[in-house]
Amino acid sequence: MIQNLSSFIYIYPYYLIPMEPIIELKGVFKNYGEKPVLKGINLSIDAGQVIGYIGPNGAGKSTTVKILCGLISDYDGKVTVAGIDLKEDPVAVKRKIGYVPELAELYDVLTPVEFLGLMAELYDIPKIVATERIHKMLTAFGLEANMNNRMDTFSKGMKQKVLITSGLLHNPDIIILDEPLSGLDANSVIIVKDLISKLAKDGKTIFYCSHMMDVVEKVSDRIILINEGQVIADGSFTELQAQQGNESLEKIFAHLTATSSLGEAANDLMKAFD
Amino acid sequence: MFINNFFLFLLLLPKSIYEKMGVNTHHLKAILTTKLMMDERRPPSIQQRQKKKNAKPIKWATLGTMIMSALLGLFFIISFFISNDTVTQFFLFFTFFIFLLASTLITDFTNVLIDIRDNAIILPKPINDKTFLLARLFHIIIHVSKLVLPMTLPSLITVGIKYGSWGVVTLILLIPPVTLFTIFLINALYILILKVSTPEKFKNIISYFQIVFAIVIYGSYQIVPRMINMSVLENYRFPQTSISLLAPPFWFAGSWEFLYHHNYSIIIICAFILSIIMPALSIWIVIKYFAPSFNQKLAMISGSDTAESVNQSKAIASSTKKTFAEILANLFTKKGAERMGFLHAWYITARSRDFKMRVYPAIGYLLVYMVIMILRSRKDMLQELQNQTTSGKFLFLGGIYFISFVIMQALSQIKYSDKYKASFLFYTTPISVPGQVISGAVKSSIIKFYLPLAVLISLFGILFMGIQILPNLLLGMSNQLCICFLIAYVGFVEMPFSRTESITVKSGGFIRGLISMLIPFILATVHYLIFDYTVAVLILLALSMIAVWLVAGSVYNKNWTDLKVGYQD
Repeated sequence: MIQNLSSFIYIYPYYLIPMEPIIELKGVFKNYGEKPVLKGINLSIDAGQVIGYIGPNGAGKSTTVKILCGLISDYDGKVTVAGIDLKEDPVAVKRKIGYVPELAELYDVLTPVEFLGLMAELYDIPKIVATERIHKMLTAFGLEANMNNRMDTFSKGMKQKVLITSGLLHNPDIIILDEPLSGLDANSVIIVKDLISKLAKDGKTIFYCSHMMDVVEKVSDRIILINEGQVIADGSFTELQAQQGNESLEKIFAHLTATSSLGEAANDLMKAFD
Repeated sequence: MFINNFFLFLLLLPKSIYEKMGVNTHHLKAILTTKLMMDERRPPSIQQRQKKKNAKPIKWATLGTMIMSALLGLFFIISFFISNDTVTQFFLFFTFFIFLLASTLITDFTNVLIDIRDNAIILPKPINDKTFLLARLFHIIIHVSKLVLPMTLPSLITVGIKYGSWGVVTLILLIPPVTLFTIFLINALYILILKVSTPEKFKNIISYFQIVFAIVIYGSYQIVPRMINMSVLENYRFPQTSISLLAPPFWFAGSWEFLYHHNYSIIIICAFILSIIMPALSIWIVIKYFAPSFNQKLAMISGSDTAESVNQSKAIASSTKKTFAEILANLFTKKGAERMGFLHAWYITARSRDFKMRVYPAIGYLLVYMVIMILRSRKDMLQELQNQTTSGKFLFLGGIYFISFVIMQALSQIKYSDKYKASFLFYTTPISVPGQVISGAVKSSIIKFYLPLAVLISLFGILFMGIQILPNLLLGMSNQLCICFLIAYVGFVEMPFSRTESITVKSGGFIRGLISMLIPFILATVHYLIFDYTVAVLILLALSMIAVWLVAGSVYNKNWTDLKVGYQD
């Protein structure tokens, strides 16, 4: 019987088993003082998807990300990650998530090895494993010569590489990237883009937050567009194209979010010289 | 702003002369107005170590700087009442003046005297060299005048009263050369430090200098008046020999003597000549030799890309070899979050300039108080300690309990960081009990800031009071630990290094203050009363140790709901 069951599971197509979403937001609201930032966000993300999460400045992207990562806990609504309620067991959720923040803010008097060593300690990664992994990852990013140098002398891009390493160090199931390419040189951008594709193939769920529309267009399976605290478009790039006309993501974004014509704004700027 | 406008108006009076020289006076005025506006919004150098991120915008900085300079200048007056000899009086005055002006200017150097931002902002604009140079020169003149004028004002009034108007005129004549010479001294010091150190170390040296400066000024105010024996000093005369000519303040003191008293002795004439030649020579050296490479070197300081290695030999492969901090962490903390908190706090408190600037001056002030305490006690202090007299006991317990203020200062600051946003790591990683991180950070501070002083006092106590003092020593230290953990328990409502100072947490403020001030006092009093009863001391020691164990456990077990402040964005 057990043998039959296991062979059934083995031969039954994986994608036909109804899966529980790995990330689910139900009616999430968040205010900063009197100002509402998220106005009832509903999202359901399946495992293995690469989500491009885009929106204009102040739309609520970073707030959503911070809620998911546990940086903001005073929100209304329900957030579950891998079936775990974020409010009920935030620690268990954090084990599953790797977060790369937007700004390269680090305790930069530390060296990358020290910083990542401390992170490894918090994720309970055995020291031998952590040491080897840190070494390999920093080397892949071309930071091997600076591993034991203090980060206060690092460029923004170098710090970003350390942050990316810290987000991936514990091999999380879900990776949340908030503008990960910010400050990176062209070669590193290629590495990170390639890395996103490989992680996705490996079954990781990637929540990619960015203003770089061309990159989002290329790497995402599904694009979620948020504006003024609400989801205003959701689908694959092809679906969005079908809905909005055969346009680039940049144009779709502008069409859905700009309050006035961007072309007119440029004209108005030029008129200032008249 | 009125003061700045006044200076600007004065300097721009001979407009037509500047224009004939090829200077664009519109550009000149625009650059100077902007620079002075920027100065107005920058905290005065004297207060820079207290600057807070996201604090209220700075206004009236010029007035603040001038008032502060005038207050510091009041200190100079003492020179004119110390000795009956005018050369000695003015020697002291110029010594204070050079020291204070140099110390104040040292922190302003990269902001004002050589403003490297000019290279990026002003130089690419269509501004001619003459305008640019004159703007820089005027900016320096205005800045230095804002320091020097109020600094010398109290002394000018005093000299006016004591020596009449000619005395004042003579002093006014000597202020510009002594100021120029001071600027040269700082310039030379900068070049010297840059030659022997990396830009990163240079920043550290300047920070340490600021700390030492703050402590010296504070210490001078507190200790010097107590030490001065007026009757001895009244008859003191600074020797007027050829060796005295090696001391720059003597040149200017001699010049005053030369001009006011018409003293034409050889030494005084030499001093007078040196007071003219040396400032002129020093400015020539600055322009000719220092200035050309100076900007480039200072640019390295602001945008240094030479990474400083913490310990290059500590290769990642040799991670089996433990550092001193790791050995301590293994000894005093449990594996996991607590150890991480310990190491994190250890590294940051050792390396962060921001932390050092906030904590070390305060510790320095406390040490100054300790020196005052010792000075106040009678000279046969050691004898009293040995005999364990009332004042001997008082001194011993005072020493033990006083150091709790040092650790309190460190503990009160480990929650703050200028990189507070980096604390995302505590909030996004799976830390189930945040108290473990806090406990690690507290233990790290205790070991770093308390243990060395405790060991010192223990050695001192055992050396002078014998081994029988041990129970009292242990009780004192156990009580100290109890206070530390109590403060950590009440005071830590956030993760370490996760806050800017501008955020105030209302809860626990009063209780924290009460514990900080009252508990050491109460414990010290109780300890004093039972000092001679060994059994009572031992009983209290046992109770105290149980209290330490309980309170330290409570800190360790603090959970997320106990934290009042979340991630600060």
